[in-house]
Amino acid sequence: MTTIRRFCCDDLLRFSSVNLDHLTETFNMSFYMTYMARWPDYFHAAVSPGDRVMGYIMGKVEGQGESWHGHVTAVSVATEFRRQKLAKKLMNLLEEISDKMDKAYFVDLFVRASNMPAIRMYEKLGYVVYRRVLRYYSGEEDGLDMRKALSQDVEKKSIIPLKRPITPDELEYD
Amino acid sequence: MASKFGLAGGIPERRVRPIWDAVDSRQYKAALKLCTALLAKHPTSPYVLALKGLILERMGKPDEALSVCLNAKEQLYSDNIFHFDDLTLSTLQIVFQRLERLDLATSCYEYACTKYPNNLELMMGLFNCYVREYSYVKQQQTAIKMYKTVGEERFLLWAVCSIQLQVHFSIGGEKLLPLAEALLRKHITSHSLHEPEALALYISILEQQSKYDAALEVLSGDLGSLMGREEDKLRMQPLRALEPDHFNICFTRKNARCLLEHDVNLPKSRTSEHPSSLPVDSALALKTSLSDELVESRLASALSFVQKLQVNDTSDCVRGPHLASIEIERQRRRSGNPTDRKFIEALINYFHRFGHLSCAASDVEIYLHMLSSDETTELLDTISRSFDASSLSVKGLGLAITTFKFLTPSSLFNNPELQHIAKGMVEAFYKNLPLSRDLDPQESMHGEELLCMASSILVQLFWRTRNLGYLIEAILVLEFGLTVRKYVWQYKVMLVHLYSYLGALPLAHRWYVTLEVKNILLESASHHILPQMLNSPLLQQTADLVKDYLKFMDDHLKESADLTCLAYRHRTYSKASYQILFPRIVVSIFSPEGLGLIFAICAILLSLKQKAESLDEVESILENVNHGARLVELSNEDNVKRFTFNEDLQARPWWTPTTSVNFLLETLQVQKCLLLFHFPEPFDEGSTPACFRAKVVLIIYVCHGASWLPPVYGQGRALNLLNKALGAASVRLSHSWLFTTSSVSQYIRLRTRIKLIQEASCVCEHKSTEKDDPKIKDAERKALLPRLVYLSMHGCASSLRETELNGSGLDTDATEMKPLLVKYARSIGYSIDDALSVILGMSSGKKSVKDFTPDIVSWMSFAVFINAWNLWSNESVVPRADESSPSSWQIVDSLVKICVEEQLIDANRILTSPGNNIPVLVQMITEPISWHLVVIQSCVRSMAPQGKKKKKGGPSERPNVPRLQAIQRSVQCMIDTLRSVQSWLSDQMRPEEQALDILLSYLQGGNEDGPGQISCILEENSARHNPELGERIAQSLETWSSAGVVRRIVGAEKELLAELKKICDSKLKLLASVSASLSSALH
Repeated sequence: MTTIRRFCCDDLLRFSSVNLDHLTETFNMSFYMTYMARWPDYFHAAVSPGDRVMGYIMGKVEGQGESWHGHVTAVSVATEFRRQKLAKKLMNLLEEISDKMDKAYFVDLFVRASNMPAIRMYEKLGYVVYRRVLRYYSGEEDGLDMRKALSQDVEKKSIIPLKRPITPDELEYD
Repeated sequence: MASKFGLAGGIPERRVRPIWDAVDSRQYKAALKLCTALLAKHPTSPYVLALKGLILERMGKPDEALSVCLNAKEQLYSDNIFHFDDLTLSTLQIVFQRLERLDLATSCYEYACTKYPNNLELMMGLFNCYVREYSYVKQQQTAIKMYKTVGEERFLLWAVCSIQLQVHFSIGGEKLLPLAEALLRKHITSHSLHEPEALALYISILEQQSKYDAALEVLSGDLGSLMGREEDKLRMQPLRALEPDHFNICFTRKNARCLLEHDVNLPKSRTSEHPSSLPVDSALALKTSLSDELVESRLASALSFVQKLQVNDTSDCVRGPHLASIEIERQRRRSGNPTDRKFIEALINYFHRFGHLSCAASDVEIYLHMLSSDETTELLDTISRSFDASSLSVKGLGLAITTFKFLTPSSLFNNPELQHIAKGMVEAFYKNLPLSRDLDPQESMHGEELLCMASSILVQLFWRTRNLGYLIEAILVLEFGLTVRKYVWQYKVMLVHLYSYLGALPLAHRWYVTLEVKNILLESASHHILPQMLNSPLLQQTADLVKDYLKFMDDHLKESADLTCLAYRHRTYSKASYQILFPRIVVSIFSPEGLGLIFAICAILLSLKQKAESLDEVESILENVNHGARLVELSNEDNVKRFTFNEDLQARPWWTPTTSVNFLLETLQVQKCLLLFHFPEPFDEGSTPACFRAKVVLIIYVCHGASWLPPVYGQGRALNLLNKALGAASVRLSHSWLFTTSSVSQYIRLRTRIKLIQEASCVCEHKSTEKDDPKIKDAERKALLPRLVYLSMHGCASSLRETELNGSGLDTDATEMKPLLVKYARSIGYSIDDALSVILGMSSGKKSVKDFTPDIVSWMSFAVFINAWNLWSNESVVPRADESSPSSWQIVDSLVKICVEEQLIDANRILTSPGNNIPVLVQMITEPISWHLVVIQSCVRSMAPQGKKKKKGGPSERPNVPRLQAIQRSVQCMIDTLRSVQSWLSDQMRPEEQALDILLSYLQGGNEDGPGQISCILEENSARHNPELGERIAQSLETWSSAGVVRRIVGAEKELLAELKKICDSKLKLLASVSASLSSALH
């Protein structure tokens, strides 16, 4: 009875049980609003039978040519609804939209290098570490840029790991 | 950006580019230099002027920026203008927007559009201006004009969106919907539609007019193919929740595919506050067109489909088909045989498969209410037999937790049993800790929720027994959890409330801070701490909380209109199917009039409280807010009606006090009432607090009628709550756990009474409006305060001066005071005359202060303002029978004295009396007493120049001697009162060790049934060296000490008292100096 649907503004007022989690960042309003306005297909909420927000995913599509890709900005699930593959479902949805609707070449995401549980989960979902971004998080912690190739990228060129780590100012996108 | 570097306003790109580069890299000085040089060559170029304005604004020179931009505007309007392009206008627009002069930007674009009527770029600019100003009609007109000019679909959609906004924000706006529909239909006939968003918008227009069949037809026709994903299209269909054969549609096979897309998506009420089965039920009730046979055959077909999915399920949709079969069986049971076992079998089957999930209990909560007590027992037995409690496994632990969740609607249990359950939970938590040994320290632990549940039961035991030990144990359990894992927010939220309730607010604040509540969470989660903080002596910390929120609101309001423009630009007009229209919500997601206004008022009141000892500072604070006049306007009735609050109150523990109900204090009435029905108590963990409270009120009402309700409810409020309870939760209520244990006859009796009440409340419906909400009343009253304080100080000062000069105390402001006081009295629920007699009665001891307890602080403030008004009003405000009747000064003095003394009677340590009177005391001192001191200071200051004269002149020049004496007496009274508070506070701050012993003694009763057992378990477990726990958990447990936690509580209490003492100190210091200057004036 889980409903996965587009995230709407009202959900911002009901997602505290997801966002009070210390690993989930609460961004400023214009951030959420911009995502809702520009990439509504990439911003989904999962709602429980009791009509509570179980979790959500937000992302976007950007880039040019062969670097046209989907990006996972945040994915988070409330404690009560963990350990039932909800994040996987949300990720699959975003991948499907990137692949089928937007014909993107790959999906990428950034994760704290220390966040092992998350890294393990992304690996299970088929993501590989493409490169390391030095001091990506608040100038302190390294980030890992993880990628998963989509059907457009027949030769899986997008996920061949870079040998050297990069610095945040070398990133192509914000 | 490309156009930015074109030939703008006749200026070559190479000249302009360096200026923009400098601006972009924040080199404003360099930019200004370049711009000034360019301006020398093109002194009348509106574009260069606009650029200069932009730079000046960025440099923080708004006045200069405005004047330069006004010059640019003038140049634009002059006839000899050569270039007129969007770049110039949009640059000007940016500056005007930042200067908060949207009107100027709009008028520039309006002018340009008149001059070049068919320029699309300019029209789009104008459209955006109207979006920013929320002028929906003009938006619509401009969009239509663009549509007519170029015939593009998107402009038509902009117009339709603008119509929807008008519909939403104006009364009778629905009349415009057919117009929108006609516009779209005409366009479809000639051009069809090309974007999914356009289709979504069309559907929503049809839906707003309840044209569901038409909507369905559109979706299933050619246009339906615009939806990229089949699921999106199908999902738009079940929203026809109120249609008679809705249920029929929901369970057709075609839709079932969609419903099961990600588990099952059963229809929900779109605005449902209370998650319940209501939408389906109401749909069934409306299902008049289907025969029983047809229902049964469709249910059977749905069931076989769902069962097939269960068998063939290879996808990730796990719970859906199983929940669907429970729902189908439920429907069958409702329409057929209530003893049919298939329903319970479906539930048992569900628990076998998913009982270990954290959400298993809440998933099926609504169904559990339908079980008989025998069935409940059977279910419970089955689950508890399905795992081995002695072995360690994540799945077993999950099942154990689900079993515990079944037990917690615990009206079934007596106190020792409850305590036993809580103990079991804590033990299970510890026993299963090894399961979490290899988890990342940031991951949530297995069995985390056990401690929340145990703590909740302990609070319940406290509620039943009033034994403080349970409350302390409730805290210890959560602190223990945080010792093992420091990130669990659920523990922190509960601790925030528990510490607040116990009077250890500094600890509550510290935990709240670690929650890192920011941005939008400030809107939905501040309620956990703010109400307590606002009535605390922690003025600075409170001011910081309020400041954060106001900044957030400010930023949002600045940005939201631009985001709406963004939505238009990117053609995301609607939020898919039945979700709400995007721009509308961007505008109205927060109500700056609601919570925003309350925060704004709080901020002003806080700074007044902080600076009350300096008249100059008070004056400057009031000056900054237009002397409070604007707030009075904002809080007028029309505005107040639109107030909404976005606080996520569902996140609060059930027992936390709100403005209307302090549940823990109402125990006697509630318990008495419940005993009548042989219910030990109505604890129902699953319900929302609001629903739960409503339920309690309902029961009291049912048993005894309104007269028996606690006075705080009042008739109107009770009915309001009743309406909410009945409107949203009646089905749930009648099936709730509360009643399943009752005998049939009681049940029937209650049902009958509920029905009667339902009828009665329908009659009274028109009387109960949202305006009865105490929070709104409170906001209304608070909004008056700054203005009343201003008028009081201003009025009495001028009256004293004028009495000296011409003997007349009349001031124009005096006429404003009365309506405000009338409003103020009304917000407490009285006419002004009745209110006057109340304060007269209280101050003379004829009326008991206790009868007016909930609003006592407001009464005191009222007396203070009445005195101030009386000082300069021509007519006597307070009726005085003769000279011996008390003056208005004496009324204030005696009221303050009586009310404060009343609070000091209880010599018990505040720590041992949770829900203590510190907040009331703080309010008395920081509000009415502060306002009174402001009046006194203002009187004294206005007499200061004359005071000097008096020294030179003779006593005959002192016409104000009686008044000075009254003030002097009042000052003395305030000094005495504050000193008594000081000495009470000192008594409270006894040595720490002593306080520690008192609290610890609650845990050492030695009684097997009493508190203390769980804290023992915690101590023993942490001291035991259990190698299975792993190094990290073992290390963190080493730091655990119950006494340490209790010591922190004592320290926090002391901190709070010391802050209050500090406030008293500074007031006493002020009073001493006032007293000295009064003495010198008098002698």
